[in-house]
Amino acid sequence: MDIANGMLHGFYVALQPMNLWWCFFGCFLGTVVGILPGLGPAATISLLLPLTFKMDAAGGIIMMAGIYYGAKYGGSTTSILLNIPGESSSVATCIDGYQMAKKGRAGAALGIAAIASFIAGTVGVVLLTLMAPPIAAFALSFSSPEYFALMVLGLALVVLLAGTSLVKGLLALLVGLWLTAIGVDIFSAQARFIFGQPTLLGGIDFTIVAIGVFAMGEVLSSLDAGEETKMLPVPKGLRNLLPTWQDMKDCRFAFLNGSIVGFIIGVLPGAGGTIASFISYGLEKAVSKHPEKFGTGVIEGVAAPEGANNADTGGALIPLLTLGIPGGSSTAILLSALIIWGVHPGPLMMTESPDVFWGLVASMYIGNIMLLVLNLPMVPVFAQILRMPVYVLFPFIFGISIVGVYGTTGRMFDLGLLAGFGFLGYMMGKLKFPTAPLILGFVLGDSMERALRQSMMMYGGDFTAMFHRPISAVMLGLAGIVLVMPLISYFNRLRVKAITEGA
Amino acid sequence: MKRRDLIVGAVALAASAAVAPAFAQEWKPTQPLELVVHGGPGSGNDVMARQLTTIIEQEKLSPVRVQVSNRVGGGSTTAAAYMASKKGDPNTIAVFTIVWVTDPLTQEAATNGLNTLTPITRLIEEPALIVVKADAPYKTLKDFVDAAKSKSGQLKQSGGSITSRDNILRQLIMKQTGANWVFVPFPGGGERIAAILGGHTDIMITDPSEAGEQVRAGKLKVLAQVGKERLDTFKDIPTLKEAGFDFQDIPQTRGIVGPPGMPPEAVKYYETFFEKLRQSAGWKKFLADNQLLGVNEKSEASKKFLITYEDMLRVVLKDAGAKVVR
Repeated sequence: MDIANGMLHGFYVALQPMNLWWCFFGCFLGTVVGILPGLGPAATISLLLPLTFKMDAAGGIIMMAGIYYGAKYGGSTTSILLNIPGESSSVATCIDGYQMAKKGRAGAALGIAAIASFIAGTVGVVLLTLMAPPIAAFALSFSSPEYFALMVLGLALVVLLAGTSLVKGLLALLVGLWLTAIGVDIFSAQARFIFGQPTLLGGIDFTIVAIGVFAMGEVLSSLDAGEETKMLPVPKGLRNLLPTWQDMKDCRFAFLNGSIVGFIIGVLPGAGGTIASFISYGLEKAVSKHPEKFGTGVIEGVAAPEGANNADTGGALIPLLTLGIPGGSSTAILLSALIIWGVHPGPLMMTESPDVFWGLVASMYIGNIMLLVLNLPMVPVFAQILRMPVYVLFPFIFGISIVGVYGTTGRMFDLGLLAGFGFLGYMMGKLKFPTAPLILGFVLGDSMERALRQSMMMYGGDFTAMFHRPISAVMLGLAGIVLVMPLISYFNRLRVKAITEGA
Repeated sequence: MKRRDLIVGAVALAASAAVAPAFAQEWKPTQPLELVVHGGPGSGNDVMARQLTTIIEQEKLSPVRVQVSNRVGGGSTTAAAYMASKKGDPNTIAVFTIVWVTDPLTQEAATNGLNTLTPITRLIEEPALIVVKADAPYKTLKDFVDAAKSKSGQLKQSGGSITSRDNILRQLIMKQTGANWVFVPFPGGGERIAAILGGHTDIMITDPSEAGEQVRAGKLKVLAQVGKERLDTFKDIPTLKEAGFDFQDIPQTRGIVGPPGMPPEAVKYYETFFEKLRQSAGWKKFLADNQLLGVNEKSEASKKFLITYEDMLRVVLKDAGAKVVR
């Protein structure tokens, strides 16, 4: 079946009334799950799994995929409003999203998040439709050296995320790298930095660090600054709650950047939405005309990562559907669900189960439209949350954070950790340490260490192998440029100063 | 001991002796059962447990609801510690896997070994396939081993943790043949298979459900299978033993364990319960769908199995380069 016929058939399947309903149900549930911190799409799909055994494969996968990409839409809501990342892939959204909310632009941020999600999500599906097999081949060409180079490139972005003091940024990064090393190392089966705590053998959950440092830290800082009497401004009138045309124009590149970066990183089984959103954010800042404003609430800083984590889903489905390779926990459950329904994801799926394959792809076009229609009208409603007086809002944020963490792991120990990270976030704010590098180090550190050790094992400890492979060489080169750039501009400034002084 | 205590003790003993035989037939759960898994929602283990509860529900095997409970943290250690804290409780059972054996062996902090709990039954043994890329120059496992001998340390295997079965088998084969190849750990199954499909690694030992589709599509080929007998879907592939690699197999296995000091009548109840499960059509379909082998072993036999298993693993893990702490 060629692509045109496939899509025609796919829409025929996806537009069946029952399947439309499942698509809507999945997207709706996904949005809700995305909004609730702690409960992620992977957990939700797994909890629903027993209920779907009797469904037919097409309807079932349409619904489950709806939860998966719907959660990416919802994830931005609490990031922007409360600085609590709803999903790990929405952490990057907190950086500028919450600052926008503080300035009274919560509605614009929420709106642009939904629009960016829609655009990038749709671009992701278009690319999935048109290019699945060749893109899958590209994904396979990525080996450990390429992953290492990708993570190095990501970490180089710290230079850009560091804010005013590079030294403080690098220190925060090192703390992140250390935190991610906690737990059992699969290369040696040895526990690292667990301090005799068996609960730490599995490492620290990412959500605890992110919620602690961002949400709890922010609340503590605000209390400390005596903001309890102030309320966050929320403009009146519907028009002031949605993004303006100027906002849309400012985000043109962010939409493109989010779509492409998200899709490409999504295709790679060893990366994922969180990494995609950070890299897209970093890229956006790197090419921006006003990089110094990032972190103070610029709209591109919301559009790029939100786009990236949505394009990521289209990308992530490619190795799943064409190779039978799941890249993350959500896609892994989709894989077992498909097997239960008697569908075998893999190279033969497109020809053997065209209903499921094309039906799913077509449903994602419909689902993305549904999500936009579902999410945009909610923006003014959600923005009203900030009208709550601070003495209600802050305990509310604490409550959601605690429930979110406890809901993920069910351990009191983790609430202790949460408090610890909240205090860390507060202290970092007080001492003017940027928090984003810590989170970035935590996200990328683990994958980077693994990729490095894998590469060294594969090439017998020969580091030059990294530069013999074109893709990794190019990415390492780019990382080098990113790292050297501040130096160049520093010298430039000196030179300009010298010239002006000489004249 | 005071005399009164003695009398009380004697009375209690007599009473329990009188009640026990009646109890042995009659213990039945009256409150929902807790089925503990060590993975979070969505992990392989969790998905299996949820499939299990669905079968139990569909076949109406249990008079009470069976509720999956995720006790996540430190591999299996949090779940094992949770079980240990439920001492004597007849309403809590857990799904154990090979990790419940390797964690206490390699981690100082993991203090609750499987045999300090009450093994109830073993349910599954997981067969495995030894696969290479379809265009690789090896026709048999011996070809690969020979190549690994002549290019010592240059061929690569993609696998999981060094305490996982894939590395254990590699150790056993290398020990028997004197060959040597590299083991590259990847945390996710998807990454492992992507590495071999992309030609970055040369061999992989994996479950049939993971590699089956690739084999069917002609992307991977199977050199040998790991298991007592040949799988129906891979009738013409030799087992390790048939291929000339004869060593004591260390099967990947899963089963059910209860807390320490679980009352014998409850153990008996679960033995019968899982016997009924084994007979059910739903369970048979589950095994077939996932290409797993059913095991029929009750509490005593499971205990014995796990003791010898642990002893074997202790030796092999040491060979594999892991630090064994107990």
